[in-house]
Amino acid sequence: MSRIVEPINWNRIDDPIDLEVWNRLTANFWLPEKIPMSNDIPSWAALTDEERSTTKKVFTGLTLLDTIQATVGATSLIPDSRTPHEEAIYTNIAFMESVHAKSYSTIFSTLCSTEEIDEAFRWSIENPYLNKKAEIILNNYDGEDPLKRKIASTLLESFLFYSGFYWPMYLSSRSRLTNTADMVRLIIRDEAVHGYFIGYKYQLAVAEQTPERQEHLKEYAYTLLMELFDNENKYTAELYDGLGFTEDVKKFLQYNANKALMNLGYDALFPKETSEVSPAILSALSPSGNENHDFFSGSGSSYVLAKNESTEDSDWDF
Amino acid sequence: MDKTYSYHDYNAMLNLYDENKKIQFDKDKLAAKHYFLDHVNLNTVFFHTLEEKLDYLVENEYYDQEVLDLYGFDFIKKLFKQAYAHKFRFSTFLGAYKFYTSYALKTFDGERYLERFEDRVCMNALILAGGDPTFAQDVLEEIITGRFQPATPTFLNAGKKQRGEFVSCFLLRIEDNMESISRAINSSLQLSKRGGGVALNLTNLREAGAPIKKIQNQSSGVLPIMKLLEDSFSYANQLGARQGAGAVYLNAHHPDILQFLDTKRENADEKVRIKTLSLGVVIPDITVELAKRNEDMYLFSPYDVERVYGVPMADISVTEKYQEMVDNADIKKKKINARDLFQTIAELQFESGYPYILYEDTANAANPVEGRINMSNLCSEILQVNTPTTYNADLSYGVIGKDISCNLGSLNIAKAMESPNFAKTIKVAVLSLTSVADLSYIESVMSIAEGNRRSRAIGLGQMNLHGYLGKEKIFYGSEEGVDFTNMYFYTVAYHALMTSNQKAKQTGNPFDNFANSKYASGEYFDKYVTQEWKPATKKVAKLFKDSNIEIPTQEDWTRLKKSVMKYGIYNQNLQAVPPTGSISYINNSTSSIHPIASQIEIRKEGKLGRVYYPAPFLTNDNKEYFQDAYEIGAERIIDTYAAATQHVDQGLSLTLFFKDTATTRDVNKAQIYAWKSGIKTIYYIRIRQLALEGTTVDECVSCQL
Repeated sequence: MSRIVEPINWNRIDDPIDLEVWNRLTANFWLPEKIPMSNDIPSWAALTDEERSTTKKVFTGLTLLDTIQATVGATSLIPDSRTPHEEAIYTNIAFMESVHAKSYSTIFSTLCSTEEIDEAFRWSIENPYLNKKAEIILNNYDGEDPLKRKIASTLLESFLFYSGFYWPMYLSSRSRLTNTADMVRLIIRDEAVHGYFIGYKYQLAVAEQTPERQEHLKEYAYTLLMELFDNENKYTAELYDGLGFTEDVKKFLQYNANKALMNLGYDALFPKETSEVSPAILSALSPSGNENHDFFSGSGSSYVLAKNESTEDSDWDF
Repeated sequence: MDKTYSYHDYNAMLNLYDENKKIQFDKDKLAAKHYFLDHVNLNTVFFHTLEEKLDYLVENEYYDQEVLDLYGFDFIKKLFKQAYAHKFRFSTFLGAYKFYTSYALKTFDGERYLERFEDRVCMNALILAGGDPTFAQDVLEEIITGRFQPATPTFLNAGKKQRGEFVSCFLLRIEDNMESISRAINSSLQLSKRGGGVALNLTNLREAGAPIKKIQNQSSGVLPIMKLLEDSFSYANQLGARQGAGAVYLNAHHPDILQFLDTKRENADEKVRIKTLSLGVVIPDITVELAKRNEDMYLFSPYDVERVYGVPMADISVTEKYQEMVDNADIKKKKINARDLFQTIAELQFESGYPYILYEDTANAANPVEGRINMSNLCSEILQVNTPTTYNADLSYGVIGKDISCNLGSLNIAKAMESPNFAKTIKVAVLSLTSVADLSYIESVMSIAEGNRRSRAIGLGQMNLHGYLGKEKIFYGSEEGVDFTNMYFYTVAYHALMTSNQKAKQTGNPFDNFANSKYASGEYFDKYVTQEWKPATKKVAKLFKDSNIEIPTQEDWTRLKKSVMKYGIYNQNLQAVPPTGSISYINNSTSSIHPIASQIEIRKEGKLGRVYYPAPFLTNDNKEYFQDAYEIGAERIIDTYAAATQHVDQGLSLTLFFKDTATTRDVNKAQIYAWKSGIKTIYYIRIRQLALEGTTVDECVSCQL
């Protein structure tokens, strides 16, 4: 089958959100080398064995999700794009997911020995819940229905990451591994835009479907969410039981499940009481860039690439 | 809801609106309360009496016996009583948390607290008064009421047996030879270890490709030295208190300038990437003029410049010698476009916040002291002259030059305006800072020790301007806001000079080289004796009147001028306005004379993690006066700083804030406006990126506009 590729024209924008998201994503570009990770070494040494072990597991789990999203997820969305600009955005998403996956390795290589790193990766390869999570998502990506792919992708971006994100956010609210948290916050900043954008494109497509199919998709989304949610609860228990955080993380999962549903244009599922997140975590999540850090101990998570514009003669009028 | 939360959770609620969209200030009070109940009180070592406590602390080498020995025990007891009678309470969770995390004396294992806030203040008063009980009581009053707050190194270290230096900031020259370079690294390690930020001037170093021993293309320029410095600062942390911190300055006309800036690029090669070292660019007027005319600017080899003029590049005025150097065939040069340089600077400021800017000629024009200002420091508020040091073949000192150090401390403007005796508040602050200068002699870096001995430079700063203006219902950067800033700094300058003059008269000992200063010639006073300074707005006149603060008249200045010309002043430098991070939280102030970054500030730093801080005096009813810096915009910040700058002999840390809709052109326009307005230095550029709509956390105060 031969296909036609037309040159992408960014001067003809069919959907202004495409441009806005593209600009946002490119302005947000970052690389893990930016963060002075080694400042976290003393803090790492002060963690308990249990805490260190959880940290390693959390990050290998997140690495797996980012790998899936980079190599399969984002690119699987390209064929069904509504606009050429949407295609371009998925290529950016795919690349940034690779950056995220690599950034966890930067954390590892700064804080752990090779042996520890290998062991953590072995854990992630063998963990049944992590495997199941990957399997469910990959099945959807490999399936025939482009909208189900978007559902799975949004759930991954807006929901599945957060069982892992909880831990660095918690640590940073207690002044530990703060540079690691900065890096994770940069990742959260990206994932928030990814989930929003994929969900938005999903909503556009759903609006064009027959009422029956709309109903079918909605049911599918809730079913898939519940399937993932059950698995996520078990995964959470395995990660956090030893530390006593499981109940708290589960609430956080419900909060983010609601967020993911909202990105897909659906009503929240979990009531406010059970999805109430601890305030320290909620505040720590805020992806907005107005934190006021001291530049001496970290680089913060608020810088963006510049928009260049030359000065004019009138600017120099003095 | 009866559920109890941890103090961190209560504190975080400050950043979340309640059901009625109100900021939950009460939750922060609860956080502070719980912090004491659940943490501090449980972890504080208990003593029955003050005597038992002091004996224990001295015996176990926590407190320095020598400090206590300056006074009789009866007096010390009286002083502690005086301190505790104030019933001091922290106004915010962050204030308390910051104090106990970073300042309070702890047992050597770091597990338990040995001090309360009052104890720390007493130890500061005891050391700063140098054995004079009356003065110790004065210092105590000023600090415990929050009117005066010594800078971190002094406040943290005073009276401790195991301690760093009291001095905040150091500035070192580097000359173009290996002895000086290696000494600079050595000195950076020594000074970092002792607790100060260190800035180094790289302008004199020969550029990449310059000859070594006349063989061409040998030098590798300033970049490898930056790498060495960055690693040195990472290594030397201050008793674990915080990472060593350093800055490097380079003249815009140094041939390595673009490579210097590129080290902060997002995609810089790992070999040249600079992560934690701060950068500053020294910009002479000629650079701005060339940019105005949209011409190329020449970069000059420091190696050749030194050979032609017989002095290092940092000691000549590039503006003055520009044409001469362009025309001199013996000076190797290359050219870049001046506007492109400004654009590159702005681009990097977006990516990294750096570089700082020093408008060299503005700083020198306003400098009353003989010599040249060619660099600034880690926070870009210290502006003093320096001279080079030479070394012998065995690496010992030849001529010990003058390097720069500065003891800082800040007044809380809102509290100072309430002072029963404004003049005395300033006097006590200036004399306290002078004590630090007199107490300090850092032998491991002789150029610093000698510089301090000869100049006794201090930097009296100010903070809580925005808090005060908000409280008085004045908009930051408005006509009244700028008018107040002008009159406040004008009045402070008068009393600071008066104090230093009295001290010189008393000791018969003005600072070294006073005779060749504009103070001695009287020139410094021209602007005060030939023109009348008074409030331009009724509101500001009333504020001063209500506070019973007399605004100095021309006659006052004329009298002061006479006395200064006759007796001199004790301190070579008196004022500098630092950015005040940590101490403004403890002191419940807004930072420096900046506008607030956010009504509820998210504060993140190495030791604290992420904590939330409400702007002082902010309530749910006066929010309109607490616009944040991004809303206020660069121009009104610059106007405010320009008003203060005319009365400050050194510099002021000026951060500019932009929304993410800004381009490099907007940043350049602000830099031009600052230069036109007589601003001496620019500190960080901060860009706020608002989250994309639909991706924010609901009910979050700091993500809303």
